[in-house]
Amino acid sequence: MEEIRQLIAPYRKVLVAGCGTCVTVCWAGGEKEVAMLASQLRLARSAEGNEIVALEATVERQCEREMVAEIKDKVAEVDAVISLACGSGVQTMAEMFEDKPVFPGVNTTFIGMPEKEGLWVEMCGACGDCFLDRTGGVCPIVRCAKGLLNGPCGGTRKGGKCEIDPDKDCAWVLIYRRLEKQGRLDVMRKYYAPKNYRAVKRPGKVQAAKA
Amino acid sequence: METKIGIFLCNCGGAISNIDFDAAVKKLAEFPGVTCVNLISDLCLEEGKEKMTSCIREEHIEKVVVAACSPEFTEHVFAEVLEKAGLNGHLLSMANIREQCSWAHEGNVTEKAVELVKMAANRVRLLQPVEKKELPVNKEVLVVGGGFSAINAALQLSRVGLRTTLLEKETVLGGGPGSLASFYGFDSGSMISTVEGDKNIEVLTSAQMSAVEGKVGDFRVTIRKDGEEILRNYGAIVLATGYRTELVLDSGMKPGPNIVSQEQFCSMLRNPGLEREPRSIAFMFDFSDENSRFSTLATLHNALEAKEKWGSEVYVFYKSVKVDSEGVEKLYQEARECGVVFLKSEVPPRSAVENGRVKIEARDVLLGEDISLACDVLVGEELCLPVEESEDLSSLLNIRKDSRGFFQDENVHLYPVGSERKGIFFIGGCRGDLDLGRVLTDISSVVMSVHELLSSGKILAEVERVKADPQKCVACLTCIRVCPHGAIQLVRADNSKEVAGISDLACYACGICAAICPAKAIRFQGYKDEEILAQIEALGKSLNGRNVALCCQQSAYPAADLAGKLRLHYPENLRIIRVPCAGQVDVFHILKAFEKGAAAVLVMGCEDGACHHITGNTRAKERVKYCNMLLKEVKVDGRRVAMFNLSPNAPHKFVRAVNEMAKITKESGR
Repeated sequence: MEEIRQLIAPYRKVLVAGCGTCVTVCWAGGEKEVAMLASQLRLARSAEGNEIVALEATVERQCEREMVAEIKDKVAEVDAVISLACGSGVQTMAEMFEDKPVFPGVNTTFIGMPEKEGLWVEMCGACGDCFLDRTGGVCPIVRCAKGLLNGPCGGTRKGGKCEIDPDKDCAWVLIYRRLEKQGRLDVMRKYYAPKNYRAVKRPGKVQAAKA
Repeated sequence: METKIGIFLCNCGGAISNIDFDAAVKKLAEFPGVTCVNLISDLCLEEGKEKMTSCIREEHIEKVVVAACSPEFTEHVFAEVLEKAGLNGHLLSMANIREQCSWAHEGNVTEKAVELVKMAANRVRLLQPVEKKELPVNKEVLVVGGGFSAINAALQLSRVGLRTTLLEKETVLGGGPGSLASFYGFDSGSMISTVEGDKNIEVLTSAQMSAVEGKVGDFRVTIRKDGEEILRNYGAIVLATGYRTELVLDSGMKPGPNIVSQEQFCSMLRNPGLEREPRSIAFMFDFSDENSRFSTLATLHNALEAKEKWGSEVYVFYKSVKVDSEGVEKLYQEARECGVVFLKSEVPPRSAVENGRVKIEARDVLLGEDISLACDVLVGEELCLPVEESEDLSSLLNIRKDSRGFFQDENVHLYPVGSERKGIFFIGGCRGDLDLGRVLTDISSVVMSVHELLSSGKILAEVERVKADPQKCVACLTCIRVCPHGAIQLVRADNSKEVAGISDLACYACGICAAICPAKAIRFQGYKDEEILAQIEALGKSLNGRNVALCCQQSAYPAADLAGKLRLHYPENLRIIRVPCAGQVDVFHILKAFEKGAAAVLVMGCEDGACHHITGNTRAKERVKYCNMLLKEVKVDGRRVAMFNLSPNAPHKFVRAVNEMAKITKESGR
């Protein structure tokens, strides 16, 4: 919040822009978060005696130029935009409205799945060289605290928990159990050489097969 | 064209004396969009209602504000007036100028009364009609279980004309040899043959539920039988899955030929080819489990039978004998009269096997003496526990269990045999009730409830009162995961996109889903975000310095009414907004209130563990905590928002909370 406040300190009229897809699903940047942040900004500025106009808008997917175009009128009205989309959405907005500063309102951290309502767990690191075929569908790169390819490390706690964070499952225990169920424990006997983390040349780009 | 709003004020036959009604009428008439303001004495009496009806008709009023007593008492009365006058009953908004204004404060409160009416008038503009429709329900019932409770429930359901399926996981019906029915001398054989001969009852043995979808009136149940899956539809599901028992033995002791359970002892009693009759027998109960009604009944029964059949010496070790179940007092008297020895001990007796006999040592607290006995057979203490599959059933049906693992949450607002999901009921052992009287009451209650629900084949329900806008819903599943009543499922919208579908039949209209929806897609008619904000915004600049209380209509709102009735005065600057459940209050509502100038916001819900919607008050608490943090981030005193838990009969607690908040706002200079 403090960060956002400083970013928009010089402006009098801003747009809080939400995204209606992924960040809505994970409670980070949907219509409701937009309303909350806008309200918070107005409160903060009014407490300083420096009123701000905070408009609100949410588009279906901020990573799609066509959809972002729908709010161009609102963007035209303001001095700056705070985007509550992922980094991809922020950049799409910034590119569409080159003359306006577009600030990120969330810190996009990982690709995860919901464990229960309101709790997401990182599942994929988007490394570009998928290892899941060898680990029974459990990713050790993000789910093992040490990112080991040849685990477990020897520090596994009783009950299959991680030595670094006892609240988290040891990924390698999960991998063992899964492979055991599938009768594929031999996969774990193999040694895997260090992974090539340069599989994706940054910036990544994917072209689907032309159909 | 602007909507025509009619305002009706009532002075309650003079019971509201500290409001200057003439001045109020004048002020309200200036309020934009108001067609007419009428002061009618005794609005809720026949004459008053008639005047109101004719005024609505003559002036072509489209929406109505009633400023009178608490809506808790008269909302339904005035909704009926609207219906009679040809308006939808949901186009009514009430201002509580009696309990929460006139009676709650001393001196002239005209200004506050006018503000309350303005709040209601601002809300009424946004209200939309909610239609009622008859929705069809499936009239068949699924009873899960095969013991005494299940069989009798099926028989009674059949008798009231509802087709019933009896689903038993074992190969035969009847329960075990030590079951409740046998202790009460019921002939389970004849019960089973009656059930099997009943054309209205289908018996499926060796069968289990493997999946349940849908909701009340339309449960789609997948049944696995003989390796095959059958799909069936039911209007209601009744669980009568019983209980299981576990022997509690002294350390080092193991069940064996001379250390047995009640059920094994029953089998011994009924075994004509028993090698050697036990000469001395000891029983134990009520040491580890306070809820020992079943063990008490089984012990007394088996002790008497052993005396009669074998003439053995019988000793009963107990902490206390619970004789409140049907017929148990009599059994206890009989047992004493025929020579069963009762030995009261405060701690569990120590036992050990010595030379093929069981040695028991205890201290009899009545005699004040140490006792040492050697018996041929020890019938150990038994704990009554939930059956193993109750875990699966609970997740299959999406219903909670109590802290012991039995069905039905310990929430005081759930009916004894009802679950938090409409159309799912419990009977007897599976909810931890283990004596005949209670089981029979359970059966009757369930049969009555199911009959009321399904017998006509349709239910009159309000449709789309709570609805997810298919355009805005992103199918994030949040509402489905949080709905305490299992009323939401993914459905295909018209354009074939999957969205959250809220069942009109299963919904209890708590609004928890509407508050949590990250896409703000769920609209709850009567409590839409705009309607809540409209009440706050109605105060305009005068909101400054006012405290806003968002009060759950199940607890805090009636508590405030009661405070008024008892003339427990509290600061006049409080403005109460009625919400269906504290769980309907969203962080965003609170922030908005502060943005508009509120001095403090009180979120008031039911006591812990007593929310009508199970999780509403705990969610509200979390949200308030989150809100404290958000406010601190923007340098607003986080103490200015707080959660209070109280019950509807706690007016003093309500007043204390209001005063506490008033003190805080004073301190923070508001």
